[in-house]
Amino acid sequence: MTLRPLHRRHRRGTDRRPRLALAVTAVFFVLLYLPIGVVVLFSFNAQKSLTVFKGLSLRWYTAFFHDNVLIESLGMSLRISLVAMAGSVLLGVALALGLVRCRTRLGSLAGLIMLVPLITPEIVTGVAAMLLFKGMGITLSSGTVMLAEITFSISYVTVILRSRIAALNPEVEEAAMDLGATRWQALRLVTLPALLPSILASAVLVFALVFDDFVLAYFTTGVDPQPLSVRIYSAIRFGVQPTINAVGTLMLAGSIGLIALALAIPRLFGRRGGLDLLSGK
Amino acid sequence: MTSIDTPRAGAAEAGAPPAVRLDRISKTYGNSTAVDDLCLDIAPGEFFSLLGPSGCGKTTSLRMIGGFTDPSAGTVLLSGEDVTALPPDKRNVNTVFQSYALFDHLSVADNVAFGLKRKGVARAEIRTRVAAMLERVQLGGLGDRKPGTLSGGQRQRVALARALVNRPQVLLLDEPLAALDLKLRRRMQVELKQIQREVGITFVFVTHDQDEALTMSDRVAVMNEGRVEQCGTPEDVYEHPASRFVASFMGTSNLVPGTYRDGQVVLDCGPALPVGPRDGVADGAAVSLSVRPEKIWLSDFEPGMALVRGVVRETVYSGPTTTYLIELAPDVTVSVLEQNTDRSRMEDRWCGGESVEIGWRPEHCLVLE
Repeated sequence: MTLRPLHRRHRRGTDRRPRLALAVTAVFFVLLYLPIGVVVLFSFNAQKSLTVFKGLSLRWYTAFFHDNVLIESLGMSLRISLVAMAGSVLLGVALALGLVRCRTRLGSLAGLIMLVPLITPEIVTGVAAMLLFKGMGITLSSGTVMLAEITFSISYVTVILRSRIAALNPEVEEAAMDLGATRWQALRLVTLPALLPSILASAVLVFALVFDDFVLAYFTTGVDPQPLSVRIYSAIRFGVQPTINAVGTLMLAGSIGLIALALAIPRLFGRRGGLDLLSGK
Repeated sequence: MTSIDTPRAGAAEAGAPPAVRLDRISKTYGNSTAVDDLCLDIAPGEFFSLLGPSGCGKTTSLRMIGGFTDPSAGTVLLSGEDVTALPPDKRNVNTVFQSYALFDHLSVADNVAFGLKRKGVARAEIRTRVAAMLERVQLGGLGDRKPGTLSGGQRQRVALARALVNRPQVLLLDEPLAALDLKLRRRMQVELKQIQREVGITFVFVTHDQDEALTMSDRVAVMNEGRVEQCGTPEDVYEHPASRFVASFMGTSNLVPGTYRDGQVVLDCGPALPVGPRDGVADGAAVSLSVRPEKIWLSDFEPGMALVRGVVRETVYSGPTTTYLIELAPDVTVSVLEQNTDRSRMEDRWCGGESVEIGWRPEHCLVLE
């Protein structure tokens, strides 16, 4: 075995562009975004065709905004997302505080169980939630969707907040109490403000996740205005309308905007925090 | 020697109760004892230091005064009032934390105002008191800044101002200078002492740095393994250490093993040295002879000095002083500190391998059992 080729490669330096890696990345992004690109493109199609593109137009967006049923569902989705966001943030922050501060065996066990919803197939969660509601004699409605989504989203909030709370300096809360604050005041005046970037970021993330969610909503929704994702699914069963492309494009734009906001929040506050989970730091 | 039998030094003058009294305080965690049956009286207006190596219980003691740690046994009294069961927010003490523990989301001024707001002090008064305190710690004009934008020294001053502005009965300081660089630390030592004198508040200062404790304190309690080994003025604990631990913790101490007999210590390595009569040391007792490096002479001996020969092993020049390590016998080395006044040139100093005679006044050496 000769070492010469290796030696030559080494002399060319390690900072040259890795061409193969670039190519693989390019293919990956094309495969990932081509279908979405088609949806976006055809949402601007002037014709009803879903295969032939015939000029730009906003007619499907106009159609969407005049479709009362879809608008009604959009309103319902927004309402569900807001309630799920508020509920899961409230419970998730409380759970994270409890998990970090209660250092018992039961506490670490609860910390592990808390992660289970993140890895459970969503269809299992959905069916389980439906069976539970049915078994308890609760009529499925937007209320049951909200409950199911809150349950599902708490884990996200808790995972994000837990690492931040663990990183807080315990002396800071002690300092607040030293200066005359009660335990509750210390939490409200010092700890929660320090966590605010992470709390806002997780709230935005939950909103986006719940708004886009289909599986859980499908199994737990009732007959009052259905969430948008479920409505789109039902509509497609009777033939795909180009309006769906417009709705899809709008949802995509909204979600990208929210995720970008969630990532930007810590930077707006000018300090660390927020979605370490997403940015991989 | 330990705290229990020691009379409460510096206790209540003229009937005023001590600012802080720890009465037989203990703290145990499982099987380990952090603080062991500790008694301390700290007089009003005193600058009192708890000095000791890490794990000696000094921070735990401080936290029990502040109310952050509940004692396993004993009582904590502030100005005569039993506060053992009170939470931190109900005690009229404030703390400067080692990490400063500033509120990063609040401005410097709001940090300092935090305690006054909790007490419900009128807004106008808060504003004037905060401004005056910031001026006092040389942070005037930085009130609108966020703590994150300040230097370490400035953050330290914010922590100090935030505690002092409440005019507590007692200010607790947990190694507040540990994170600063040496030069800044020296300056803050002087400044802290000045501030303490001006405001007249009792300071309880925790440190592991004996220089710091000696420089700043009115009294020092040297702690080891949850107990007070010795409590007294800086001079007391430095010049008259009550135990081997105190002697060796308070700066460099030469401990030479020997046997006490008739006003003399017969060193294990041979020579018998006069130490004068020592009360409480039995004839034939195994002792350690302790002499501070700066109290050992290398020439111009006086009559009546204890003299012993040794070999220079190391010469360490450090500007104003030179330290010699002198071997009296295998494994018995003493260090000698000399001002560079007479022997300021290199060729005048001793160097390795030379045989020298060293000596000290009998009253300058301690006989520790």
